[in-house]
Amino acid sequence: MNPRLFSATVLFLVAAFLIGPFIIIVAASLSAGETLAFPPQGFSLKWVAKVFEVESFRESFAMSMLLAVGGTAAALTLGIPASYALSRYHLPFGEAVRTVVALPIIVPGIIVGLALLRYLVVPFNFNITLALFLAHTALVLPYSVRVVSASLNNLRSDIEEAAVLLGSSRAGAFFRVVMPNIRSGILAAFILGFVTSFNQVPVSLFLSGPGVRTLPIDMLSYMEITYDPSVAALSALLAFMSIGIVFLAERFLGFSRYV
Amino acid sequence: MSDSAFLSLEKLTLAYGDTVAVKDLDLSIQKGELVAFLGPSGCGKTTTMRSIAGLLKPKSGRIRLEGADITHVSANKRSVGLVFQSYALFPHLTVFENVAFGLRLKGISGAELEVRVVSGLNSVGLTKFANRKPAELSGGQQQRVALARSMVMEPKVLLLDEPLSNLDARLRLEMRTELQRVQRDTGVTMIFVTHDQGEALSLADRIVVMLNGAIEQIGTPEDIYNSPASAFVADFVGFENIFPIENGRLRAGNGPIELAGPLPHDAAGLAWRPRMLTLGSGPFQGTVRGASFSGSAREYLLDTPFGTLKAEVDAALPAHCAGAALAFDLPIEKAAKLKRFN
Amino acid sequence: MFHSRAEALALALPAAVFAAVIFLAPVVILLSEGLRNADSWTISAYTGFLSDPLNRTVFLRTLKLGAMVTALAAVIGYAAAFAIVNLPAKGKGRMIGLVVLPLMISPVARTYAWIVILGRTGIVNQALTSIGLTDEPVRFLFTETAVFVGLLQLFLPLMILALISALENMPKDAIPAARVLGANWFQVFSRVILPLTREGLVIGGTLVFTGSLTAYITPAILGGSKILMLETLLYQRVTVANDFVSASVIAFILIVMSFAANLLLKRLATARSKR
Repeated sequence: MNPRLFSATVLFLVAAFLIGPFIIIVAASLSAGETLAFPPQGFSLKWVAKVFEVESFRESFAMSMLLAVGGTAAALTLGIPASYALSRYHLPFGEAVRTVVALPIIVPGIIVGLALLRYLVVPFNFNITLALFLAHTALVLPYSVRVVSASLNNLRSDIEEAAVLLGSSRAGAFFRVVMPNIRSGILAAFILGFVTSFNQVPVSLFLSGPGVRTLPIDMLSYMEITYDPSVAALSALLAFMSIGIVFLAERFLGFSRYV
Repeated sequence: MSDSAFLSLEKLTLAYGDTVAVKDLDLSIQKGELVAFLGPSGCGKTTTMRSIAGLLKPKSGRIRLEGADITHVSANKRSVGLVFQSYALFPHLTVFENVAFGLRLKGISGAELEVRVVSGLNSVGLTKFANRKPAELSGGQQQRVALARSMVMEPKVLLLDEPLSNLDARLRLEMRTELQRVQRDTGVTMIFVTHDQGEALSLADRIVVMLNGAIEQIGTPEDIYNSPASAFVADFVGFENIFPIENGRLRAGNGPIELAGPLPHDAAGLAWRPRMLTLGSGPFQGTVRGASFSGSAREYLLDTPFGTLKAEVDAALPAHCAGAALAFDLPIEKAAKLKRFN
Repeated sequence: MFHSRAEALALALPAAVFAAVIFLAPVVILLSEGLRNADSWTISAYTGFLSDPLNRTVFLRTLKLGAMVTALAAVIGYAAAFAIVNLPAKGKGRMIGLVVLPLMISPVARTYAWIVILGRTGIVNQALTSIGLTDEPVRFLFTETAVFVGLLQLFLPLMILALISALENMPKDAIPAARVLGANWFQVFSRVILPLTREGLVIGGTLVFTGSLTAYITPAILGGSKILMLETLLYQRVTVANDFVSASVIAFILIVMSFAANLLLKRLATARSKR
């Protein structure tokens, strides 16, 4: 077989496999019918409109937003100083710190959610929203450390010394010459963290209570009740939101080199 | 330490963790001097420079500037400038803002800032690049920005880390002239670090040769070039034929060398540049092992009873082929007398 | 650098302490629960768990699906990554964007799409009926096949991206050099490409394998209560039976398998490249 034709076929099939389901979801959500089907029966925006009418979707969307934005911000607040220390100083426990901070990637999220429920929320009557917030912060921490460290390692450390010799304090040197140069790394870490947290399911499975539920969990339980196309519409909307964010990020940051 | 010293290092010991890099170093430098720290990598020259800048705290000892003890003054309050080997320009700032960085921190703004930055850029001929980012400049231009950035701060001491090593041959000459001019115009005390003897000889008023964290020799370029104090310095500045004196006799690897005259009684060794050997006549016999022609000179490797020697003669003289037997001499009066043999 | 050790520790510790308290401590306590019976340490929970045939089935299914997804992802991944790397710059950027894109879309949304495709009245069944292959719709949902396809779609991008970066780091002339020396395409792959990209394969393989082992959404949506995997089993044990001991055992198995996969693949990579 002609190698070019072979390549083109492979690429077409892979693209269809990866993107096809998304296109089908979009089409199904525009159906006028009452049940989930493809090809769609007629065209209407009624299911898209319904998404905005379902109150639990509105609430869980707000919750997911709060966790994703707040958790990622908190993770960066912890992660930036840690990355800075790890990349600029040979700590005696550097490897240990790196490993502990990376744990949330290795340990399955469902276990963490369960453990927090059982040993924090139940015995201490700990606020579930706060527990969710802590779990999402920890979940995003490894990504923020990884991405910020990568940008710090690409930045020469002697510019900080140069700033100090020109009269800056050390903290001043960090904010005047380090931060501006790792800004796009931090933004990339934020986006990656946001997407990770927003789409996260296993960690949040056990950490839900009255009025406390993340959007993906809410979608899962809605699906158990009905197969109407509103979940498809919501999925499509979320996908477009992600695509929009990633598109802008790629445009202005060259995001894919950080992933 | 003399009281007139502008900058003095007293019993300075520097270490990274438990690794001692410089031990009990004493040095005084006069105002307006241009001093080179010369030595192989790992000799402690860069470490010493960093401690003068305040980037490394001494383990013990003192640093004085204009008589005041600055050992514990932090790096941002020392009035010491440093031009980094990599230039360390701030990539996110324009050339103008790079040069303005320190001045702004001093609270200078508006017209005065403008005037000082522009005159700083003017002095290195980069006024028209003021709005560029460092990445848009060549290496030589970046280095001049770094120089201007340090000089607008009017430092008492300007330190330069390997200032010529990243430049090509033509820019090297240009930068050398530039540094000498800046030094002449401003009278700033300059110390630069280098591993290249040619750089040190051509640029410095005084050279401090360092080895293993200690000073091996201090002297003018002429002193260092003509009268190396030790075998290490002799080797570093191009003496190829170096022998110790033991028990009153000059020793080669495989036995004593009997020279025509008496040995100087206060020397620990003798050293000859290839040029200093007499070829074609003399009491010793050698065999040409290899010959090379470099335009102005002919170089020979000679197999002799004292091991392999390196000799150099004027290219106008007739050539000898490999295998030829040659008489030669090691004239005592031309030899450099080494005070120490290490 | 001129920072002191104390300062550096002060910067790094908050993150480390946070991760240790929020992640490490509760997980360790949970794991210890499966090893305790009243006041003594015991592994009876583990033997008990594994003696139940249902649990064994779920355990083996999880391993099997993980291995199969990883293997097929590697095969497709090599073909796709090789084709992408050889595209002109612009097309390459676009294809990479297309591979990254699904990673940013909610896995719930991505998995949900398979219901539309594989359902009783889904596209596949419509196609099969219309060409007359079947009269009755074939059952795809709540089968291992559905879970397998869902997992593959979810994790394939990770493998492709890992292999793309491995192929890009390969010396440019290696393949032409091998061809000139008389290697056929199979030999080029097995003797040049594979050894030179082994590290990327290991990274991609670890991500796909551990991702599949610890997947929850895909088996929950496409497998339901029929095709349980370890995570869905854990969820079921806790919510249906309040059985925290089994949960602890499953948690331990999941963690051990994740780490073991990681180590084994690392070992494989170094052993082979030493040869």
